[in-house]
Parts: sequence; structure tokens; C-alpha cells
Amino acid sequence: MSTTLLPEEVPLDSHRKSRSAQTRRYGFFPGCVAKESCKELFNSTMLLADKLDIELIELTAASCCGASVLNDVNRDVARVLNARTYAQAEALGLDDVITICSTCTGHMRAANKELLESEERMDHANSILAKFGAKYQGNVMVRHLLWLLIDDIGLDNVAKMVVRPLNGLRVAPFYGCHIIRPESVNGWESARNPHSLEDLIAAIGGEPVDYAGKTRCCGFHIQLEKDDVAANMVGQNMRMAKDHGAEAVITPCPLCHLALDSYQLDSAARWGRTDLPTFHLPQLVAFALGVPAEKLGLNKHLINPRNVMVERDLIN
Amino acid sequence: MANIKLDIFRFDEAVDDVPHRDVVDVDIPETTTVLDALEHAKAEIDGSISFRRSCRSAICGSCSMNINGVTGLACKTPCNTVMNDEGLIKIDPMPNFQPMKDLVVHMDPFWDKYHRLKPYLQPNDPDSDHERERRVSPDDMKKLVDVANCIMCATCYALCPVVSVDPAFAGPAAIAYAYRFIEDVRDGQRKERIAQISEDYLWLCAHCYACSYCPKHVDPNDRIIDVKRAAIKDRVMMDERGPRHALVVTKTIKQTGMLAETEVVLGTVGRFNVRGMIKVTPQAMRMMASGKLTPFEMVAGTAAPMLGQPSMKPIPKVDEVRTIFDSLEVPVS
Repeated sequence: MSTTLLPEEVPLDSHRKSRSAQTRRYGFFPGCVAKESCKELFNSTMLLADKLDIELIELTAASCCGASVLNDVNRDVARVLNARTYAQAEALGLDDVITICSTCTGHMRAANKELLESEERMDHANSILAKFGAKYQGNVMVRHLLWLLIDDIGLDNVAKMVVRPLNGLRVAPFYGCHIIRPESVNGWESARNPHSLEDLIAAIGGEPVDYAGKTRCCGFHIQLEKDDVAANMVGQNMRMAKDHGAEAVITPCPLCHLALDSYQLDSAARWGRTDLPTFHLPQLVAFALGVPAEKLGLNKHLINPRNVMVERDLIN
Repeated sequence: MANIKLDIFRFDEAVDDVPHRDVVDVDIPETTTVLDALEHAKAEIDGSISFRRSCRSAICGSCSMNINGVTGLACKTPCNTVMNDEGLIKIDPMPNFQPMKDLVVHMDPFWDKYHRLKPYLQPNDPDSDHERERRVSPDDMKKLVDVANCIMCATCYALCPVVSVDPAFAGPAAIAYAYRFIEDVRDGQRKERIAQISEDYLWLCAHCYACSYCPKHVDPNDRIIDVKRAAIKDRVMMDERGPRHALVVTKTIKQTGMLAETEVVLGTVGRFNVRGMIKVTPQAMRMMASGKLTPFEMVAGTAAPMLGQPSMKPIPKVDEVRTIFDSLEVPVS
């Protein structure tokens, strides 16, 4: 609701139509977690892409985005690693890199912003890329699959493609910090009061749940530092969601998924049992668009969404 | 003239057991600030409404409060940007603080953490030299001016989700202010200051950027990262989990191009830390039971680093990644 405290800077290229969008061929950056502990996210993304009739071309030689941790060690390394990734996309003739993780989105956009805003930083990155014959020209934009669904496909069209509406399933959106904050880096929508996930939930036949926890932190990044603090952050947010009537959660971020899925049990002593199943964004959209539930890896979740889906008559 | 309704949190710790709310109608132009609306309500309608304020110009840092669920300075927030269609504005005290009276809170925890920093210069030279001028180059000063803009309004502290569940965390403002002295060339206590703020849970920052809403653009989120880098550069308290985590992540990305999850968990907790390992075991077992973690990944992540090998298959052209790390002389241990 408030816009008074927002940063004045307008971020780059938030809604620019890419060449990739016109040809429906996108660079695809799955990120580490979708290739490791959340393979179901990778698989359901590819199944969703088929349904949407878009081509996601995986940047197989891309490195980790830096995961917000490399910055703690060195100021430049994440930026140059991401420049290498963008150069790979450009070499394939792609100008749009699609992510499926809030942390990747935020940190890759931050790196791109730093490169595009400063000739000095761009030259510095390219002087290192030159050692192995690569060059980043500065033509890439980084977006999350969520934004692609809204900007390129359009939610009206998504709604038309729905063959299995969610029957009013009450879904709590959980954005994940780095897809909205800092606003000077993301800025695709208001970080204070985003509604892209709510709009998407409604488009696929669910009922979005409004609660204050939706833009808060899941605590993933401090699980290994102090796990009880991280668990309490999960419990606090999931309590709010549950008290507002949520039956399930949807998140565009696999880090949030891991935190919410695996730490609700550990926070039960302080916040009570919540047991909200946490869907990866492409899982729930792909399901509504007709991908069979058993192909979505829902059994890989610690809190199995099966019961909730049976109650809503979504599966048998 | 628009009719604005202020829905105000009311509580007096001296007499009330529980808070209540009052809705106060004020007739003022809707472009005035929330602070002016409160001033008007206090002057014209109910003199008992309590809130802190002084400069009315986002300089003194007194009037931070929660406005429609969003914490910020009342003097910097025009009513028309926050009121709903009925002109209603909900006003609460800053979260993460104990309310004292209405919108006034007990600021003690915030100031305690600030005082722990010893927020004054501590030069190394003898006392007899303290009268002399200490010069700072414009480049050295440039690093400090943004942080020096902090007005200690505690907006970031109120927004911090880590503070909300663990009040031991120093909070964004204190860490940003620690940076202000750590990076000051006139100060002689750099290492001691880094150690102090590390003990106050520097590494417990959750990277959530909630403090990026700083009304003075101090951006504590970025200063926290700067202090962590200073800790690693000066090798202060390197046996703690925070620095160990940062370095094992860096090492696995350099080795494989990817963040190798299992090795990161084991490397952060410490392979020979029996108690730590017992604590993460249930989580690991649950993840293996659901298929999130395969036994092979578990074994590879445990054994390979001991043999000096990458714990997962490196990405294609991983040499390029290593060239980047080497060119920038990134530490991995």
C-alpha cells in the first residue's frame, strides 16, 4: 500500500520485451538447488514449458550465481561468474535468462545491474572472461519464470489453458526475499505489496491467502548458523498463513521451499503444528495445466501435499 | 479537506493490561504527512495520544512507527500514499520493541546494542597526541559518509525478521555503525571491533534485505556484507560457523562450479563436530527418506572432500570458473 519509502531508483529492463520472448526461446538457468536437492523443481519446470509451448534452453555450463554467499568473501567474483553465464546465453543467441529461484533472480539481476551501470566494471569482467575467449556484450536480461508467465504468456492465457482448476484450494503465496528486495534491483512489482503470485493462484483456480508473512524471510540462509532461529522464522510465517486459512503454500524459490518444507516440524514446539505442504511454483501451475500429478515429484516433499489435494478433489 | 481516520494503537504500560484502539477523525488535506495528522489529532481532539517526534524533516529519527503494517518515518509518509478508500490509516508502534505508551516504545535494546560498539573513535596513538588534527583522504571518507547519515530511527531494527525471533542479534543499524568505525582509517581497534560484532551475531543476518527500506539510504544490508568481508580479510574468528560456511561455499563453487549442498552442510557444521552432526542428522534422514538427498550424494559429499576431490561432478568448462577465482585471488580457506 505504501510507496513513500521506496528507493527512487528505477531498475533496468523490468518489463522490456526480449527477442527471446518473441521467438519463445529462452536461456534457462536452473540454479544449484534445482539440480541437487530439488530435482522435482527442474523436472516440473520442463514439463510446464512443454505445456506453455516455450523452449527453455538450459545453460549447462553456467556456474552458481553466488547464492548471496560469495559476496561475503569477495566483492567481484559473483559479478564476473554471472557475466560468464550471460556471455554463454549471448553466444547461443539468447537475450533473456529465465530463473526458477528467487535467490538466483535477485543476485543475477544485481550482478547484471552492476555490469550495465558501469563501463569500468564491465571492462573488468570482460578482461577476465577474455582469458578464455568469452565476452559479455550487455544484452541479457534476467527474469523469473513467474514474470515470464505474466508478461509473456499473460495470465488470461494461462487461465484459458487450465484443464484442472484448483477447486478453490486456499494457497498462501511465499515470495522469497530476493525476487522482490532490494527494489532497486528487482522492481518488477512493489516489494511492499506484491500480488503476482496471488494473481497466478487465482488464474489457476485457487484462492490466494493474504497474510503478512508472504514477503518475509524463510531463514534459509542462517539454517547452518543457528537452526533454531531459522526454524522460528519458518514457524512464525507458517503460523500466520495457517491462521489466515491456508491449506498449502506456493513459492517461486526452492530455498524457501526447503526451509518451509523441512523446518515446520522443528518449529512446532513454539508455533504449533502447521504442516502446510509447500509447492514449487511450476509444480502447481503444471498440475493445473494438465501435467499428471505423479510426474511432478510431489512425493519428494517432506510434507506430502497428497492429503490436501485429495480433500479438494484434485487427485484420487 | 479530506476526512482522514487514524486508527491508533493505545496502551499505557502504567495502567493498562491490554492495548486497545481508538479511531480519530481529522480534517486535514490528504497530502499532509502522517506525523502532521497525528499532531493535529493531539492538538485538536485528544491530547493524550503519545508519540515521539521532533524535527518533522526526517533528520532526527524520532517518529518511526508502523503505518498500515509498514514501518517507516511518519514525517516522510504522506497520508494519501497509505490511506485506503475510506481514508483509514492504521498506526501501530514499531514492531520488535516493547510498547511504553501508545506509539512510544522502549528503545533500550536498540541503544544497548549501539553502546556495545563503543561508537567513538579509538585511535592507537598516546593520549598526549589526542589534540592533534587527524586527516582523512576524500577517498577514505567516501566509504563512511553514507553510514554517517544514519539517524538511528530504528526502522531497520523494527523490520528485521531475525531480531523478531532472536533479540540477541545486533540488528542492521548496529552492524552498519560498526562498519563506520571498522573502515575509519583514524581508528585503531579494527580487529577488536570486528570480533565484538561477530560475537553479537554478525553472521546471523539472513540476507533478507528488509533493511533496504532505510529512509536515509544507509543500506545496512550492504554494510553487513562489507563487515563480513572485513572479518574474512582480517581472519577474525574464523572458526565460527559463519566464516566457515562462506569459505566452504566458495571452495565448492571453485571446484565444481556449483554450490555442493552436502559438502557445504558438513563443512559448515564441521565433520568432527559430533554434537553438531547429531543435530543435523534427523534433517538429513528425513531428506533421504523423501528422496531429496540420495545416499550416493551423502557419501560423496562426506568422503570426497577428505580425499581432496570435488564432491560432485563439475560443470562443463569448470576451468573457466577457476580462472575467475584465481584472477580475483578469492580465498577458499
